[in-house]
Amino acid sequence: MSTDSDTTPDTEEAREQLIDLAADFYDQFADGEVPTMTIPTRTKSNIVFDEDEQVWVYGDRNSTRSAKTVSGAEKILKAVYTIDFLSQQLEEDRSSTLRELYYLSESWDLDEAQFNTQDESNNLIEDLEIVSDVKREDFHMRPEESGAKVMGPLLLREQTNRGDREIHCQDDVGQGGYQIPNNPDTIEFLDNDAKFVLCVETGGMRDRLVENGFDDEYDALVVHLGGQPARATRRLIKRLHDELDLPVTVFTDGDPWSYRIFGSVSYGSIKSAHLSEYLATPEAQFIGIRPEDIVEYELPTDPLSDSDVNALESELEDPRFQTDFWEEQIELQLDINKKAEQQALASRGLDFVTETYLPERLDEMGIL
Amino acid sequence: MTSYQSRLGEGEGIAEELAESQRAISIAEFFEKNKHMLGFDSEARALVTAVKEAVDNALDACEEAGILPDIYVEIQESGDYYKLVVEDNGPGITKEQAPKIFGKLLYGSRFHAREQNRGQQGIGISAAVLYSQLTSGKPAKITSRPKGQDEAQYFELIVDTDTNEPEISVDETTTWERPHGTRIELEMEANMRARSTLRDYIQDTAVVNPHARIEFDEPGLDESLKFERAERAELPDETEEIRPHPHGVELGTLLKMLEATDSYSVSGFMQEEFTRVGGKTADSVIANFNDRHYGRGMAWQPPKVNEDADIEAAVEDAVANKGAETTATFAAAVCDAIHDCDRVAYHEVEAIVDDAAEDAEADGDTTFGSTVRENAVDAAWGAVTADLTGDLYALVDDVTTKRKDDAAIEGLASRLADKFADDGRHRLTRDELRGYIDRAADMTEEQDDATYGETARENVLEALWTAAEGVPEEPPKVADIADDRDTASELLSAMRETDIIAPPTDCLSPISAELVEEGLRKEFDADFYAASTRDASVHGGDPFIVEAGIAYGGELESEGAVDVMRFANRVPLVYQRGACATTDVVKSIRWRNYNLDQPGGSGIPKGPAVIMVHVASTNVPFTSESKDAIANVPEMEDEIELAIREAARELKSYLNKRRSMQQRREKQDKLATILPEMAEKLTEVTDNDELHIDDSLARIMNNVLVEREIEDDTVRVRIENNDDTNADVELTDIVTAEPQDTNGATVVEMDGEWFVKWSPTVGAGETAVLEYSVTDEAEFTVSVDGIEEEKLTVNA
Repeated sequence: MSTDSDTTPDTEEAREQLIDLAADFYDQFADGEVPTMTIPTRTKSNIVFDEDEQVWVYGDRNSTRSAKTVSGAEKILKAVYTIDFLSQQLEEDRSSTLRELYYLSESWDLDEAQFNTQDESNNLIEDLEIVSDVKREDFHMRPEESGAKVMGPLLLREQTNRGDREIHCQDDVGQGGYQIPNNPDTIEFLDNDAKFVLCVETGGMRDRLVENGFDDEYDALVVHLGGQPARATRRLIKRLHDELDLPVTVFTDGDPWSYRIFGSVSYGSIKSAHLSEYLATPEAQFIGIRPEDIVEYELPTDPLSDSDVNALESELEDPRFQTDFWEEQIELQLDINKKAEQQALASRGLDFVTETYLPERLDEMGIL
Repeated sequence: MTSYQSRLGEGEGIAEELAESQRAISIAEFFEKNKHMLGFDSEARALVTAVKEAVDNALDACEEAGILPDIYVEIQESGDYYKLVVEDNGPGITKEQAPKIFGKLLYGSRFHAREQNRGQQGIGISAAVLYSQLTSGKPAKITSRPKGQDEAQYFELIVDTDTNEPEISVDETTTWERPHGTRIELEMEANMRARSTLRDYIQDTAVVNPHARIEFDEPGLDESLKFERAERAELPDETEEIRPHPHGVELGTLLKMLEATDSYSVSGFMQEEFTRVGGKTADSVIANFNDRHYGRGMAWQPPKVNEDADIEAAVEDAVANKGAETTATFAAAVCDAIHDCDRVAYHEVEAIVDDAAEDAEADGDTTFGSTVRENAVDAAWGAVTADLTGDLYALVDDVTTKRKDDAAIEGLASRLADKFADDGRHRLTRDELRGYIDRAADMTEEQDDATYGETARENVLEALWTAAEGVPEEPPKVADIADDRDTASELLSAMRETDIIAPPTDCLSPISAELVEEGLRKEFDADFYAASTRDASVHGGDPFIVEAGIAYGGELESEGAVDVMRFANRVPLVYQRGACATTDVVKSIRWRNYNLDQPGGSGIPKGPAVIMVHVASTNVPFTSESKDAIANVPEMEDEIELAIREAARELKSYLNKRRSMQQRREKQDKLATILPEMAEKLTEVTDNDELHIDDSLARIMNNVLVEREIEDDTVRVRIENNDDTNADVELTDIVTAEPQDTNGATVVEMDGEWFVKWSPTVGAGETAVLEYSVTDEAEFTVSVDGIEEEKLTVNA
């Protein structure tokens, strides 16, 4: 079912790993110990760069949840109930969404086991991914929102509930493009004419590129990120890079939040650093909008808000952004105190982005 | 403590005088006019006041006779009236005593007795008797059985309202089941609108008199309320009546005392009539009095040595016809004596001249008559005071700032010197001296462009006053002072100014913290009680002691403000709560610091609590004659606050502990639900055998865990303390075979069972192990003491 089955356990393995986790708690009780669950601390200060994989992963700092405290006991209890639910789901080969899990907990007989917020259940699933070393997708848990869309010269085969489908991401799809499924590991790449992957932050810009036929003209796979990209999107990007050997570029707005979008594509996100090896594409390159573009193209801008400045300053301390390129760009931006959207390029005409900006920049980056 | 029995024969006092002055009008009219002051201003309040007076009287009678009081109070409906019945188990009264005690209004008032007594609080039982007679027309019915008599006496008593003379109208022998005591029945116009006040009054009385047993019945009760005596409660210590303290009398009182005393001299009067005054203190008072009455004599430095001749020559010149040698010797003696003084005042010069004259008379045949002596004194004094400016310059310069220039000091000194020139003896009071300084300073300011501010003037005054000397005159006789209000006022100021040790406190009988707590405990069903008694303190000349108590939780009303109970000399204060210093103090304390709810951070706190404050004093300062509220005297407020805080600190630590125990219990309850469920779920998910989670629970609950381990012949009993405090464990292991090598544990054999006793102290987070061996097959039963059950898990 997947192309790298050596790292992805099948359903039964996933189930066993969950039950092993429960067995750990069982053994702690049986030995008269206090059940505890140890997971890496998931904060910016506890991510380190993995030289081998060239991605950011969690460091050595752990936090321990112990049944000694009421809140710790409740967390472990919820984990046990969730493990029970997931193992049944896997046994029956069904799947559910994160939101469904949240509502489903309402049906659990013990009030203390129920989730209070959606965040709580989402976090717990991530905790379980970390301690069991099994990905959410392999628990058959999917996020509510579906993955983003791809447009470009790529032929693939997707396993669907209704059988395998062969799809060409230009010829077989509408203007919207090919919808990335929740688990992109169900996709098999068959053939492609693509020269590179172009990830685009905003829908408006993606539509502009498609309308102007940029994917056709430059053999680009245009991937719509739709804000902070979903796991499925990042996974697909990584597979396109690793398996088809395509260079990956990221085109976003010129503000601190967009740099984080690039960061999560390239370096991995803090929340899912345990999956960085699986999701991050360290070779991804940033196209823009760069602060230097704001200056060079005299783009229409907004002033930086206080939260923008804070975010930029926090990025200067973020280990993922500690490169010469980023330090220079962020300091420049703080200096000019301005930010610009992708669509600001339209101030120089609707075709400026496809005829001038991108070709020049991509050429400069050695991609074209 | 005096009761009404022993008060017979007294009768002096302001109250008596008050009644005297009212003779002109009928006693009924007097009562009518003053009933607000007497506490009979409404029918509801009249009943409360009557009960209060009767109960106070009954308690006093019992205590005086050394009998633990057993008081019965009943209110009955009686046609249009209410009938009040109060019985005590006191010593009873005779026919002769009855009219005076119950009938004579304002008889033997205790308003001014320097003693802690209940009588301070009211006008007396007689007012209640009079009120009942005036409203119902019925006599007071008194039954009395003195101790040891077989039969009781029954009197009916009527007050002749024209003459204020009580009369016994009925006098017969009767039977009464009490072995001794007094019963009084009063019928009066009244209503029960103040029912809750009445019940509170009785309950409060029971709280503050834990040595008394009180029963109360009224028409609204299904059965009578019984307030039992606290178990350990004994009679309050007898109090001594003390003489007044000089700091605690008013001018009116002082004048009366001056008139009444047998003493002739002020010194004798002070020592006889006041507490804490001995010869030395009396002298200090007199010195202060003289300063006010006569003033001080300004003393001057004698002229310098090189001007010696002046005094000697002046004296020689003044003495005529005494022979050259005698005169020279006399003059030299006077001169030398004056030069021996650092400073000399007129009266000292007089004394020196007298001494020298007597020496001269003893040596020769010459007589130094009064004229010669006066001339000599004037001459010597003239020489001493010839130049005052230099002396004054030094005095002024010493106490004024360095920035004052010479001209200003010189100016003031010379002007002051001029003032003294007016009066030959240089004798003046402090006020007069201040007048000199003010005028001289004003002039200097005006003419020399200098400034003499208030501080500078005060400093100069102090320096000059210190340099002056008290005069040796005898103070006026007591009789003269008594006739002269101004002189008496000077004496009063002198008394107040003199440092005198605080009055003795054995005249006070506090309830004691222990019994305050006991009193609260028996009347309030609470979870926690605390009480405090302060050491005696003094305000004015009256010693006082403040006691406070707090009850919290249990059945106490948890809604609304806490109940503040106020007491003065063991009598509950019922009315004017808002005007009372006690209430003010309670409001001013930040109760949140003591874990009580206090909306807005000030005011009466909220919650299930009762705060009581008892002030015992020989003279409780009340805000008004109705004696319902304690006045805001700072010394007393401070003590009230400290007493309350002392008790409140205990409350705080109790509440803290309770909170942490509650949190612990909540945590345990929560974990006790979660963990078994977790274990069950884990068993289900992992498809394993049922889990036993006792050990884990013990560790999680911070419990003390006792476990047994048997390995071949070796038995190990392990005590694991998971708590964060030391655990003192007393463990007994009962073994059915003889244990060996018990490592210090004691073993006692009894009927074929061996009791292995082990009492280790296990530190927080530590484990202690007892190891012994048993060779035979054995059974073990372990029992553990010293650890609260909820903190103990035995798994052995």
